[in-house]
Amino acid sequence: MEKSCTLVVHFDKGTPALANEIKEALEGNDVAAKIDALKKAIMLLLNGETIPQLFITIIRYVLPSEDHTVQKLLLLYLEIIDKTDSRGKVLPEMILICQNLRNNLQHPNEYIRGVTLRFLCRLNESEIIEPLIPSILSNLEHRHPFVRRNAVLAVMSVFKLPQGEQLLDSAPEIVDKFLSTEQDPSSKRNAFLMLFSCAQDRAINYLFSNIDRIIDWGEQLQMVVLELIRKVCRSNKGEKGKYIKIIIALLNAPSTAVIYECASTLVSLSSAPTAIRAAASTYCQLLLSQSDNNVKLIVLDRLNELKSSNRDIMVEMVMDVLRALSTPNLDIRRKTLDIALELITPRNIDEVVMMLKKEVVKTQSGEHEKNGEYRQMLVQAIHTCAIKFPEVASTVVHLLMDFLGDSNVASAMDVVVFVREIIETNPKLRISIITRLLDTFYQIRAARVCSCALWIIGEYCLSLSEVESGIATIKQCLDGTYATQSAALETAMSPPTLVQGSLSSIGNLRSLILSGDFFLGAVVACTLTKLVLRLEEVQTSKAEVNKATTQALLIIVSMLQLGQSSILPHPIDNDSYDRIVLCIRLLCNTGDEIRKIWLQSCRQSFVKMLADKQRRETEEIKAKAQISNAQPDDLIDFYHLKSRKGMSQLELEDEVQDDLKRATGEFTKDADDANKLNRILQLTGFSDPVYAEAYVTVHHYDIVLDVTVINRTKETLQNLCLELATMGDLKLVERPQNYTLAPESSKQIKANIKVSSTETGVIFGNIVYETSSNVLERTVIVLNDIHIDIMDYISPASCADVAFRTMWAEFEWENKVAVNTVLQDERDFLNHIIKSTNMKCLTPPSALEGDCGFLAANLYAKSVFGEDALVNVSIEKQADGKLSGYIRIRSKTQGIALSLGDKITLKQKGTA
Amino acid sequence: QVVLAASIVSKSGKVLVSRQFVDMSRIRIEGLLAAFPKLVGTGKQHTYIETENVRYVYQPMEALYLLLVTNKQSNILEDLTTLRLLSKLVPEYSYSLEEEDICQHAFELIFAFDEVISLGHKENVTIAQVKQYCEMESHEEKLHKLVMQSKINETKDVMKRKASEIDKSKIEKNRGDKGGFGPLQSMGSGKIENSFSDLSISSSGTGFGSGSGFGLSSDVDSFSTKSKGRPTSSATAPPKGLGMKLGKSQRTNQFLESLKAEGEVILEDVQPKLGVSQAAALPPSDPITLTVEEKLNVTLKQDGGISNFDVQGTLSLQILDKEDGHIQVQVQTGENQAILFKTHPNMNKELFANENILGLKDLNRPFPTGQAGGSEGVGLLRWRMQSNDESMVPLTINCWPSSSGNETYVSIEYEASSMFDLRNVVISVPLPALREAPSVRQIDGEWRYDSRNSFLEWSILLIDNSNRSGSMEFVVPQAESSAFFPISVRFTATDTFSDLKVTNIIPLKGGNPPKHSQRTQLITENYQVV
Repeated sequence: MEKSCTLVVHFDKGTPALANEIKEALEGNDVAAKIDALKKAIMLLLNGETIPQLFITIIRYVLPSEDHTVQKLLLLYLEIIDKTDSRGKVLPEMILICQNLRNNLQHPNEYIRGVTLRFLCRLNESEIIEPLIPSILSNLEHRHPFVRRNAVLAVMSVFKLPQGEQLLDSAPEIVDKFLSTEQDPSSKRNAFLMLFSCAQDRAINYLFSNIDRIIDWGEQLQMVVLELIRKVCRSNKGEKGKYIKIIIALLNAPSTAVIYECASTLVSLSSAPTAIRAAASTYCQLLLSQSDNNVKLIVLDRLNELKSSNRDIMVEMVMDVLRALSTPNLDIRRKTLDIALELITPRNIDEVVMMLKKEVVKTQSGEHEKNGEYRQMLVQAIHTCAIKFPEVASTVVHLLMDFLGDSNVASAMDVVVFVREIIETNPKLRISIITRLLDTFYQIRAARVCSCALWIIGEYCLSLSEVESGIATIKQCLDGTYATQSAALETAMSPPTLVQGSLSSIGNLRSLILSGDFFLGAVVACTLTKLVLRLEEVQTSKAEVNKATTQALLIIVSMLQLGQSSILPHPIDNDSYDRIVLCIRLLCNTGDEIRKIWLQSCRQSFVKMLADKQRRETEEIKAKAQISNAQPDDLIDFYHLKSRKGMSQLELEDEVQDDLKRATGEFTKDADDANKLNRILQLTGFSDPVYAEAYVTVHHYDIVLDVTVINRTKETLQNLCLELATMGDLKLVERPQNYTLAPESSKQIKANIKVSSTETGVIFGNIVYETSSNVLERTVIVLNDIHIDIMDYISPASCADVAFRTMWAEFEWENKVAVNTVLQDERDFLNHIIKSTNMKCLTPPSALEGDCGFLAANLYAKSVFGEDALVNVSIEKQADGKLSGYIRIRSKTQGIALSLGDKITLKQKGTA
Repeated sequence: QVVLAASIVSKSGKVLVSRQFVDMSRIRIEGLLAAFPKLVGTGKQHTYIETENVRYVYQPMEALYLLLVTNKQSNILEDLTTLRLLSKLVPEYSYSLEEEDICQHAFELIFAFDEVISLGHKENVTIAQVKQYCEMESHEEKLHKLVMQSKINETKDVMKRKASEIDKSKIEKNRGDKGGFGPLQSMGSGKIENSFSDLSISSSGTGFGSGSGFGLSSDVDSFSTKSKGRPTSSATAPPKGLGMKLGKSQRTNQFLESLKAEGEVILEDVQPKLGVSQAAALPPSDPITLTVEEKLNVTLKQDGGISNFDVQGTLSLQILDKEDGHIQVQVQTGENQAILFKTHPNMNKELFANENILGLKDLNRPFPTGQAGGSEGVGLLRWRMQSNDESMVPLTINCWPSSSGNETYVSIEYEASSMFDLRNVVISVPLPALREAPSVRQIDGEWRYDSRNSFLEWSILLIDNSNRSGSMEFVVPQAESSAFFPISVRFTATDTFSDLKVTNIIPLKGGNPPKHSQRTQLITENYQVV
């Protein structure tokens, strides 16, 4: 176990204090100077200097000081100095501080006593503590609660030491007695904590003998009681009933912290529906009553956990959960919706959708700036509901269609996508949706929404009247687009502000096209073509059809003309031009083959897309279910054999204990030993006088180098020192130490390196030593560089397409790598890149299918430091079978872009 | 539910202070704190971050983050309360929320953090409590020091007695031996000195080593010369046994009284600077305690004259034992006509007007007893005096700031009226914000500079006939003269304006009058020069 570190203070390297200056000040009589010097000494110690010569000075000149600040700083100093030698034995000079500590423990100033007792809590050396024990115990009876409170903690810490039970075997008894008479709530808590962790039976006894007063106990004590209950029930399930009563009583405690704790205790103790229900409703109450966003979010996390473990009970609570939507915070709303959406059932769907609808209506009236985003969330939520339960679609689709003209494009886009899906899956709603869409079409302001709406109109206007009004609507919206020279000039002179700013309803489509959006123009042309083709089928009068055809042709041609006129800054692009021309050809020369493609194939591929999406979703769910399957050597809990009311003991214990261990970093997954050996790096040559090799363990935020150093000579090497230096965002934590290495012996040296961001770092260094024959000359052996791999820090992650695009636009660093590979197949290459960069492909596999000679995919990963790494691969198969194209890496920091680029350049060749 | 660490990091990611409450390695905590600024997103409306292993709960403070690192099971509600408390504490210990200031006060912050979280568990404390804990002002320690001092004085006393005995015997011896006087005296004193230092060592066996500062020969020397001028009878002062049954303070007071009776100026040694109020707070030990207290509210004008002069007096009675409740109090008032007395509504007004006796209207009712009425006891009589007469003011202050070059010279003088002897006089002069302590050129008394609140305290332990006026002068960088006002003054005195005295206690149920003690003091409540 590494030495524990109790405090960190920023150390300004610019003005290092000199040991002898400190010494001088410590010896002087000026208290202020003494304080200053002591602070400097502590900072030096924290920075890795050992300054052993100061110890005696401090003993002689600082120990007797009567100043309180000096005494407190002295305790800090004693807290951080090494009190043991290299073999773990207490240094003999430490006995010198004992007397001072004892005096402090009998000091008339109660605060000096208190802080000294607190210091003892952090002391691990029983040799130092032993003579102090009587003084510690006598402080339990001190008049001032400040002293008693810390005295109890000191007793606890002493008792918890490895030899604690010998040092203070009567401690539980003493504390038990103390607890029975103590009045100060904090001292009581500490005493109970001591019993709880050292003598559980006594704690339980105390609890039960005071059970009727428990509600009046202080908040702190109640918390420990709950902790105790959790611990006891884990080992002693039979008595759970008794404790659950206490928890229920504490649910009425005045402190919300206690209530929260009660709920989580309940959950951990029992999976009985009543308990879960009580916990869930407590959480819901907290969710409503607490105004702090952090609390709300964490409570939602708890509810989410409950949801995955006890879905059937949470289903009942869905409306309570949804009430959290009243907060303006979007994160909370999103989380709430996420939870609620997984809780919908046929029984509560109506209620939920009703609530969501109400919320949607609310966003219309409020002037809140985030309303657009919130509405988008709600639309998506309703969308999900409607997919799961198609019957609700009819109740919401019309309401949502009001938002097609929403100024928030994303929200309008969601609505239109929703409508498109519903109209296909709910044929019954087709007529009403189409009517509504045609009515509200003029309100649509965004080009993307517009093109999607046009597609719906083109596909789903079936009857004669629908087709006719479809054509009429488009014509109306384009009214005036007959691109006669004058019209074009007229609009060209009016500034383009009209396009963005104007809310004027008529001619929205027109202004969009006039602003140069020819893609939309092509969509309009296609829609018109489709409608005319359909009209041919449903209209019996040939004359009418011809009339419509010519009208459509006029519009289409006008658009083409506009595209070629000089008044727009950009002429029409080739793709749109081709498309529009194709439409003209079609309208002039229709045929069955063409008609089939235009009227049926489109729809078919859309249906296929929907089906594909559905399939993907079910697959994902399946995959998820797969993950939670047991490993071959996992413990199997037989549900029917298990006591119904609780989780198994193993489950619980692991859960609680690991949490703290993981947090303090004590707990690390045992790495694969074989894997470890793969990482061995040879640092020096076999013929060097010192052979060194290292294996590198990469934890999250740190790297540990385990260096084995072997003296290959027949001489003793003195002052051997492993000097390391780093490049990149790496930092050495400790200063190197000097060793003496006997002939042909070896030594393990550990070095810790702190990592603060994701980039490839390099560690290089020397081994320096002196030989006994030649003391004056230091020999230097240069080590091989150690490269720290970026791959250790990034892990595949996924994000929404929209988020990816926003980040792509936002990030400042781009690294563009030209594709250069021997691989011949696009997909092989992509997989190779994915594998070698440890990223996740966001582009769905269905979009990568087929052989067209082109491939574009987005990859995404996240670093442990929370940084995003984005990669876009765009490749084309050349005529000669080679792949060409670019891989672009974007990130917020230069480090990732560079290191990832290097990595790709290195690996992309892909030789077999 | 454990807080792993409380830390302050700058927005750029520099760790300024961090205090860990559970065992964790340096690399671990540094790693956690280094990762934190990268994880903090912008524009979020919540202030916690969860990673795989830990949760950070934080609060932005200007260019800094104050954060708690907790495990993920930790109780968020409690952690937020802790965080809030810490965030209020940080500005208490660091003047600004700049990196430099935080670094400078890192240790103070660590001490404060320690008071809020112990072994990772939250303590139920308020800001005021934390401040109190960190200041470490201990009443008990003061008492302890007082006792120590009294022990020292006691030994001195013993020493003195021994000295005069030896002196006497020497003189007698000399008389008996030789007729010559002059040359022998010097010789004798030299010898005495020796024996004194011997004495000091032998009598110090009670526990304070000879190193504790009093047994030095120079000290003893001055003692011995003084004691020479004293009548020998005083040397046989009442013996002081070592039994301390009455309580230490009582004993100390007695001790002081007796020393005072011997004409020794011992104020400086024994009376603590904040002494008077503390002495008053001591519980009364006599069955009946009568307290005469006058509070002064005075506002003097900077350029002379008074704008407000107001004395409010009370006579309060505290009875420990219920049986002593049936009494009346005979008082005697001074000749000051400006004072108007007012009795408590329950008192017999006529009795007081005619005979100066304070008694209850209802003779069957006893006075309330015990500590019920607070430590002050029950008020019997109140009086008030207002005046515009400058000669009534016990202490006038004259402050003359004058600028010359880059500096401002401030001379202050005080003049005390001969009515009172003033004790523990403290004159606090506000100063403009200074980088370093002002340089005091001349002073009668002592001074202290409080850099935190930026004022200079001039303290004179006793103003009596020997120093009715005094002055001090100090220099600061140039400043407006208005910066040195309002000057506030504190002092106490044992005489009052009313000169009210309790002359007798008349028991109503017969018998001997119960023992009573009387305290009289004049204190300043608000005494300012504006």
